[in-house]
Amino acid sequence: MVDQALLLLRIAVLVLLYLFVWRIARTAVRDVRGAQESMILRPGQGFDAVPVPPPASASAAPARPGRLLVLESDVLPPGAAVVLDQSEVLIGRDPHAQALLEGDGFVSARHALVRVRGGRLTIADLGSTNGTFVNGERIAAETALDDGDEVAIGSTRMVYEPGDA
Amino acid sequence: MSAYLRLPERNRELALLALALVITTAGFAAVQIARAEAFAWSPLIAAALFALAYGAAHVALRLYLPDADPYVLPITAVLAAIGLIEIHRIDPDLARDQGLWIALGLGLFVAVAVAFRDIRRLESLRYTCGALAVLLLLATIVVGTEVNGARLWIRVAGLQIQPGEFAKILLVVFLAGYLRERREVLAAPARRVLGIGIPALRHALPLLILTGAALVLLVAMNDLGSSLLLFAIALSMVYVATGRLLYVGAGLGLFALGGLAALQIAPQVQTRIDGWLDPWPDEQGSAYQIAQSIYTIADGGVAGAGFGRGLILGANGDTIIPYAETDFIYSVIANEMGLLGAAAVVLLYLLLAWRGFRIATQADDGFSKLLASGLAVAVAFQAFVIVGGVVRLLPLTGLTLPFVSYGGSSVTANFAIAALLLCISQRANRERT
Repeated sequence: MVDQALLLLRIAVLVLLYLFVWRIARTAVRDVRGAQESMILRPGQGFDAVPVPPPASASAAPARPGRLLVLESDVLPPGAAVVLDQSEVLIGRDPHAQALLEGDGFVSARHALVRVRGGRLTIADLGSTNGTFVNGERIAAETALDDGDEVAIGSTRMVYEPGDA
Repeated sequence: MSAYLRLPERNRELALLALALVITTAGFAAVQIARAEAFAWSPLIAAALFALAYGAAHVALRLYLPDADPYVLPITAVLAAIGLIEIHRIDPDLARDQGLWIALGLGLFVAVAVAFRDIRRLESLRYTCGALAVLLLLATIVVGTEVNGARLWIRVAGLQIQPGEFAKILLVVFLAGYLRERREVLAAPARRVLGIGIPALRHALPLLILTGAALVLLVAMNDLGSSLLLFAIALSMVYVATGRLLYVGAGLGLFALGGLAALQIAPQVQTRIDGWLDPWPDEQGSAYQIAQSIYTIADGGVAGAGFGRGLILGANGDTIIPYAETDFIYSVIANEMGLLGAAAVVLLYLLLAWRGFRIATQADDGFSKLLASGLAVAVAFQAFVIVGGVVRLLPLTGLTLPFVSYGGSSVTANFAIAALLLCISQRANRERT
């Protein structure tokens, strides 16, 4: 009786142990399969490979591409500009970032995202270490940009100029 | 309130913790039945207390790290449970102490999770951590007591503390902060020789100092495992920071060369290596432990002798292998749970290491990446060295099996590592959503 109980418990523990291992390990398989997808789907990155379809109507068209003109930067020459011609522009040290601020230790890999939302251009901080500043204030949420707004990321200060408005 | 209930990561964690609890209960019940040949309440009470401690840690994660990795805590639960069951089987009194250490460890886990839920706070403490790590290791060498030939312990107020367990965490924190600062100069070669970029000497200096320090530790502690562990952690982090295998190769080569020389002045290491290469001539002497370990593992077979049924205790009530509850706990597991159970334990460490590396890849900033990968290496490499030691794949060393072995320093330090990994994971997952 005791022996049967022990045998049963022994088998139960081993089966449950491997069930436990399997339940976690199968997520590893998902990771490996999904790896490529999750790498491509970084903000703004997918638009390099897939051309952005032209807006169907004038009302859906985003504000004409403006630019962020560099005022001051340790890593970009003054007078350079980040042209906001895609619906999403990633700013950071990530090699896939459209606005690459390589070599600036105060910039995170995926630092900030500029995109069109509700017909307006907005900027959002992506949880960077040193923050994104609009007109000198660190932004907590996605913030709309107006003509002449000053954006600061790391050592780079930029001013927003809308397109031919 | 309902916001705390709708957390997919935490719900996944809860389901796995429930499974871990079933495994714990079944294991405890088996040991108790084998010992008393009757039903008893005590294993159920032990399992309930275990559940209570982990339940508290789980609730704390819901409150403070809601988006953190859901697998780390359940993996530690199964590992700790297997260790606790086998320690209970060796000596119920030791198991009571170990239960207390696990509860304390989970307390530290929650404290670390709350204190460093913003992991950047730790980065500013990098030099403090580095100084503390050196201080702990120095203290071990100067005022440490020798157990079994290796100098790894300090005796404080009747308690034996193994400072190396904490020093390794502090070292990882320091290196993560330091390497993040110096990454660029280490990664960029100054000149090329035969197509291989050679860094300027002053930038390679930290690496040479690390190697030298590891060799000094080898001689001073008289233990190959601890110095190899600390050195492996440092080398792996240098690799993560620079992506250059040259450093790893050069470091290992220098360590091997220096190690051969150091062997002449560290007699204990030489004994261990002799016992590793061929234990049988001195089976009753200096290679007694490792020989007994081999017999015990072989006795377990594929499916094991069963909980409480293995030949672990001798006629006088002592364990057949000296230090069965600490260094040789893996041999006991292999004996009672067989090859299947022992392989499952190795798989659990593999999963834990994989979660650690995954957290490192998901992290956005360099400090977090370095910290997560260093901590994952610390746990995984330690498990590798001690498991390799008891199965005679590597020379035997005085390391504990993380979360499983009996011992307060080891258990609490490893729970702190788990908490740090979750803090990094929380920040990384937050940024994704």
